Amino acid sequence: MPRRQNFLQNANSPTPRLLRAGGATVLPLVLPAAPNPSLPPAVSVRGLVKRYGAVEALRNIDLTVHTGEMFALLGPNGAGKTTLFSILATLRTPSEGAAAVLGRDVVSERDAVRRSMGIVFQEPAIEQRLSGRDNLLLMGLFYGLSGAAARRRASELLERLGLTEMADRPAKSLSGGQRRKLELARALVTDPGILFLDEATLGLDVESRRMFWAQVRGFTSTGRTVFFTTHYMEEAEVADRIALIDSGRIVALDTPRALKARVGGGVIRLETDDNDRARLWLEERGFALEAAGPGLMLVHGDPAAVLPEILRHLPVKVHRVEVHEPSLEDVFLKLTGRGLEAELAAGGGRGRP
Amino acid sequence: MIRGIYAVVVLDLKRAWLDRVRLAVGLAQPLLYLFVLGSGLGASSKMAGSYRPYIFPGVLGLSLLFSATFAAISIVFDRQVGFFKAVLVAPLSRTAIALGKIASGAIQAFIQGFIVLPFAPLAGVPLDLHSFAALLGAMLLAAFTFSAMGVAVAARFTSTTVFPVVSNAVLLPMFFLSGALYPLQGTPRWMQGAAHFDPVAYAVDLMRGAVLSTPGSLAASGRAELFFFPVWLSLAVLAAVVSALVWSAVRTFNRGEDDSSLGATRINWRR
Repeated sequence: MPRRQNFLQNANSPTPRLLRAGGATVLPLVLPAAPNPSLPPAVSVRGLVKRYGAVEALRNIDLTVHTGEMFALLGPNGAGKTTLFSILATLRTPSEGAAAVLGRDVVSERDAVRRSMGIVFQEPAIEQRLSGRDNLLLMGLFYGLSGAAARRRASELLERLGLTEMADRPAKSLSGGQRRKLELARALVTDPGILFLDEATLGLDVESRRMFWAQVRGFTSTGRTVFFTTHYMEEAEVADRIALIDSGRIVALDTPRALKARVGGGVIRLETDDNDRARLWLEERGFALEAAGPGLMLVHGDPAAVLPEILRHLPVKVHRVEVHEPSLEDVFLKLTGRGLEAELAAGGGRGRP
Repeated sequence: MIRGIYAVVVLDLKRAWLDRVRLAVGLAQPLLYLFVLGSGLGASSKMAGSYRPYIFPGVLGLSLLFSATFAAISIVFDRQVGFFKAVLVAPLSRTAIALGKIASGAIQAFIQGFIVLPFAPLAGVPLDLHSFAALLGAMLLAAFTFSAMGVAVAARFTSTTVFPVVSNAVLLPMFFLSGALYPLQGTPRWMQGAAHFDPVAYAVDLMRGAVLSTPGSLAASGRAELFFFPVWLSLAVLAAVVSALVWSAVRTFNRGEDDSSLGATRINWRR
C-alpha cells in the first residue's frame, strides 16, 4: 500500500490540488496524473460471473483499476453496471470468479473491504429528518469511532465540504447539491482508501455536478482511488480510464482519448430521404459505415475534406448533416451498434433487481 | 459489537426523539383503559373499587407491548430506503443490528411505560421503594421480551402495510389472554391453559406481583392473589422466550442470499 496522506490535511498543504476561491472550491487548471500502475491494484476482478436465476447479468468480467486512478464504468441501463458495482461494494456475492478491493477479497474479507471503502449511492442514504452533523456522527459510530472522535470527524468534514453553516438543519431542508455533498461527506467519514460512486450526481444541475467532481478530484489527488458509474458522458471524460460495459461484458477499457481514437478523426452523421440507397452508394465508394441506429454514421480521418465531395455527388436528398469530434457515445455506438440512451428508451432495466 | 449495538440504539433514539409527541399520544391509551374502562368495568364487577389497582400492571403491559412492537416497524422502513443502506455497508455485524434494534425498542417501550407510573397513586396503587424497584425490574424484562417479539416478527416482513396488520392480529389475543384486565384465576380452564403459552401473561403477572406486594395493597388485604404463575416459572419462561427470539432475529438478519437485504428473502424484498 502507498503511504496515504490524510485527505483533510492535504487540503491545507502548501500545494493544494484544489484552489479555494472565495469559499468555493474550483478545479485547478492542471489535473494531476495520479494513477500509478506500479502499485498493487485498487480493484482486481477475475472471471466474474453473476447470475440471477437464468439471467446472466455479468459474463466473465476481468478488470484492473490502478491505485490512485479515477475509473469510470459506463454503459446503458441493464448492462450490468449496478450488479458489478454491488459486488465490489460487498452487497452482492459473485456466482463465479473473484473480486478484490485494495487487495482484499470482497467475499472472504468482506469486513476489511467495508472498513476501507466509502460509497455514495444513487438513492439518498442519509436520514433526511436528522441534521447533517447527526448523520455524519452516526456514521462514525457505525464505523466504530468513539463518540468524541465521530464528532470531531463530522465537524472536519462539514468544514472541508463547506457545509458548516447548514450542518444543524434537517438534511431534508438542504438543496439537492448540498445533500449530495453530505452523501459524499458520509462516504468519507472513515477516510476510505477507495471511493465508490454509483450515479452519484443524478438529477443535479451542471454547476452542482462540477462542484461535486471537484471535491472528488481532491480526493484522488491524495493517492486514493475513485470508481464510479455515470450516465453523463462529460462526467465519464474526467476519468483516467473508462470501461464500457454492455450486456454483462466489458467491451472496451481505455483512457477517454484512446477510446475516442478508436473511432478515428471525426464522425459524420447524415439523414437522407433514402438511407438505404445512400448507404449503398457510400459503400460502393469505399466508405465504412457504422451500424448505428437510424441515419448514417461514418467515421473518417479527415471529415472536412471528404464531406463536400459526398454532398455534391450523393444521389439522394440530404436533410441533415452533422460533423463532430468523436464522443464516448460514438465509441459506444461503434462497439455495440447501439446508443447508450437507446436502451433507456427501450426500457431495458433487467440488470437492476 | 458493543459499539455497533450502541450506534443502532443512538440512531433509533435520535429518530424517536423527533417523534417525541408520540410519547404523549401514547399515554392516552393506557389512561383510557385505566380510568374509563377501569371505572366502568370496575363498577359492574365484584372487585368494584379495587379493579383499577388490579388492572394497573395490565395497562402497563399494554403500553409496553404496543410501543415495543411499534418501534420494531422501523426495521421494515429501514429496509426500503435511506440511511440504512449506508449502514449495511459499514463493517457491522448483522447480529449487532439485531441486538441494537431489540435494545432500542426495549428502551423506547420502557420510557413509554415509565411515564404511566406517575398515575399509580391516582389509580389507587401505593408504591413503596421495594415494590417500585421490583416493578421496574419486571417492566424492563417485559420491555425486552416484547421488543424481541416485535423485532423477530418485523425481521420477516418487508411491507410497511402488512406488518402492522399482522402484529395487531397477534397482539390483541396475547393481550386478552394475559390476564391484564381480569384475574386468570376465575377464567375457564382453556383460557388458563392458553395463558401458559402467552409470554405477555408471565410479564403482566410479574408486574402485578410487584405492585400488589406493597403492604396495604389488594393482596395484603387478601382480596387478590399475588401471582398466578410461580415467580421462578415466569422468570424462566421470559428468559427462555427472550433468548429464543433474539436467536431467531439474529438468524433472520444474517440470512439472505445478498447482504443488502438484511435477511429479507428475494421474493418479499422486491415489494
